[in-house]
Amino acid sequence: MKPIFPAVEDALLPRDPVTQEPIPPRQQPGYYPGFNTLSQRRYWDEATRRVVEERVNHPPERKFFSQAAWDFWTVVFEHLIPQTDRTPDRRIPLVPALDERLAANYTVGYRYEDMPHDRVVYEWGIQAIDAEAQYRYGGGFLTLSSLHRDEVLKVIQQERPKAAAEIWKKMSVTRFWQLIMADAIDTYYAHPWAWDEIGFGGPAYPRAYTRLERGEPEPWEVEPQRYDWIPPLSSVSGEVDASGESPQSHHGSGGSH
Amino acid sequence: MKEPILGAFEAPQSRKHMLGSLQSIHLPMRRFKDEEQVDYAIVGVGAAGGVLLQRLARAGFNVVGLEAGPFWDTERDWVSDEAGSRELYWTEPRVTGGSDPLALGSNNCGKGVGGGSVHWAAFTPRLHPSDFEVYTRDGVGADWPITYDEIKPYYEQLELEMPVAGPAYYPWGHPHGYAYGPHPMGGVGDALIKGCTALNIPVSIGGPVAILSGSHGDRPHCIYRGFCIQGCKVGAKASTLVTHVPDALRSGAEIRDFCMVSRIELGSENRVRGVHYFNRQGEARFQRARAVIVSGYSIETPRLLLNSACKGYEKGLANSSGVVGHYLMAQAGNVVLGRFEELVRMYKAPPAHALTEEFYETDPKNDFARGFAIQTVGPLPQAFGKQMFAAKKAWGWGLRREMMDYNHWASFGLLGEILPWADNRVTISEDKDKFGLPVAHVTFNLHDNDKKLIRAAKEKTMEVMRAAGATEVVQEPRYAHLVGACRMGSDPRTSVVDKFCRSHDIANLFVCDGSVFPTQGSANPGLTIQALAARTADYIISQGEQIFSGRKRDMTDPPIRRQLAPPETWGKGVPRLT
Repeated sequence: MKPIFPAVEDALLPRDPVTQEPIPPRQQPGYYPGFNTLSQRRYWDEATRRVVEERVNHPPERKFFSQAAWDFWTVVFEHLIPQTDRTPDRRIPLVPALDERLAANYTVGYRYEDMPHDRVVYEWGIQAIDAEAQYRYGGGFLTLSSLHRDEVLKVIQQERPKAAAEIWKKMSVTRFWQLIMADAIDTYYAHPWAWDEIGFGGPAYPRAYTRLERGEPEPWEVEPQRYDWIPPLSSVSGEVDASGESPQSHHGSGGSH
Repeated sequence: MKEPILGAFEAPQSRKHMLGSLQSIHLPMRRFKDEEQVDYAIVGVGAAGGVLLQRLARAGFNVVGLEAGPFWDTERDWVSDEAGSRELYWTEPRVTGGSDPLALGSNNCGKGVGGGSVHWAAFTPRLHPSDFEVYTRDGVGADWPITYDEIKPYYEQLELEMPVAGPAYYPWGHPHGYAYGPHPMGGVGDALIKGCTALNIPVSIGGPVAILSGSHGDRPHCIYRGFCIQGCKVGAKASTLVTHVPDALRSGAEIRDFCMVSRIELGSENRVRGVHYFNRQGEARFQRARAVIVSGYSIETPRLLLNSACKGYEKGLANSSGVVGHYLMAQAGNVVLGRFEELVRMYKAPPAHALTEEFYETDPKNDFARGFAIQTVGPLPQAFGKQMFAAKKAWGWGLRREMMDYNHWASFGLLGEILPWADNRVTISEDKDKFGLPVAHVTFNLHDNDKKLIRAAKEKTMEVMRAAGATEVVQEPRYAHLVGACRMGSDPRTSVVDKFCRSHDIANLFVCDGSVFPTQGSANPGLTIQALAARTADYIISQGEQIFSGRKRDMTDPPIRRQLAPPETWGKGVPRLT
């Protein structure tokens, strides 16, 4: 598989909080060096092994998006879940799974009454993001610098777009952001490289987990080795905000109880 | 890394249809012809449909279950993987709205044999006695047409049939104990115990949960792999697919999978005469039946009745009351997440393994009626990512950073009683599904009591999380479960079915699933749904031919028929508490 992403400039790399120096891209970012869920695949059941290996080895080909739309969303998703801290050979492709979902017209099983169908969301979304980029920086989204692209997306994240009013009248900006973030999260954290990054043990049938308490590792898991990092200079997505509660954020599609 | 001693794991090569890792069923099963008149056509083989199918077949009726989804072979079809499990959920199109729209799909809707019981977390608390008389006690909601004492024998029975693991003494509601031992704690359960204990709140440890703590018949014990809501490939977690369907098929029932029922047909003398459906090939078919039971759950059941409107029932079949689709309920299901300095690794152990019902009942000190429970949950990476997104507005680098701390977080789910309101409802949308059938439009609005209850429940749950030692506590608003929309009651003007789940309007039409609940308590609905199904089956069996041709509606309670349980789940050698 040839690298999808170009080489990375320093301003796009996470930094050491003390020295402010960029941290070189790693094969496996996160605090669990040496942990490798895929190395355990011979312990997994056959059906699970097949599904996960297929995901890693054969990302779906483009079926739904035009080449232009595919390229557009590829860049957007580079901001929703940035991966410049990963070496190019270990970045997780995000748009192929989305494209396949839309090609099959597969949804989460409902649409909000203030939202169009998902395929339309991803069509209008390009227009709305491009319009916001034009309004703020006088150019199409793809022509902007990485920092400006981040800024445009942050405006939508904060539900304060100034352009494309006619689109946002027909499509809730909150739900739009939820949908594209859910697609990004669902794809990135379905990948075993992301499991390695966060220390998730992965499939455990038929072998079982046996050390349930106090966060103890199984014999094939590892203890974490933390390191400090801060987001790249050319980014505005590092902040989180747990203060407010959007009354519309009844997201909950995860189904945890 | 070491290699498995016996080589890579291979699925059993027996060519049998596997239901869990040990149990298999021999196919083909009995097949009825469309033109053959069966006794009962059951629409939906889920939590209720699976039990009904088993009971009625064992009692000797000709019964066919029409299931819109697949008849799972768990070894072939299920995986230990979030993304790979989406086929378990009802993902056909629907529209959701109102002031507080419900997430559907994976949140609360199953598809395929076993239905939602395939992907429930399997918490099985009973309703409390107070739940059956909410209106009488609190002046809100509704009363049930049955009492706790009437359903109690069925709780005890189904707790053995699933079976349920839990503590020997359970103090809330009607105090009782569990015959099968509690599960060991995972990191989230430990946090709940620690938090509750610090605040002097009693806590139930290791259950009640319908997951095997020891092997039982041809089902192995839990292996604590954490993928409960992705379908238990192990076969340790109860679903009707592994608990009741095998015995149903052995007793001569038929399950017709990939069959989407589109309309129930009304025949002469105000009786239904069968169901129209689309089969696996998408062909329109008609199955004749002497009686029909709709077990499609709180959205598909009212949708089917509304889509079956006909002459005499212009508002929807069995809907002379106008109540079909109304009084839909979901429980408040906010997830409270706490970050701990030490590691938790919440992906291990079943998500459901400890809870407290200390705040379940109406407390005069509160400014709202009814209450809530606090339970363990265990989101896997995809779900946790979306929770960090919802709770902390995390995206980009912020999300990547939060996610790297996944193993430091524990999560509790509150389960709060939302009252039944007429404006929370299922109607028919202008959108169509792939068969051209109008889809459901779900409208949901929180009312004042609900909002106050959720606020208090959220604060208490966050307090428990902090008391457990969490240094950061955040929460995600959401809802869990669905019930109501075809409620049972004594008055045909204000309810859809009677206390035996029989339509007030049509004598040979039953609705039996979560949609019949008049209120919901703060208990996960799965056990009550199955208990009601077993009770409805006993009634149907007692009535015999009267259902098919009788003029008089007999409201005599049936005796409980324990001997109709799947063999080895009741009687000699099975532990029980009296």
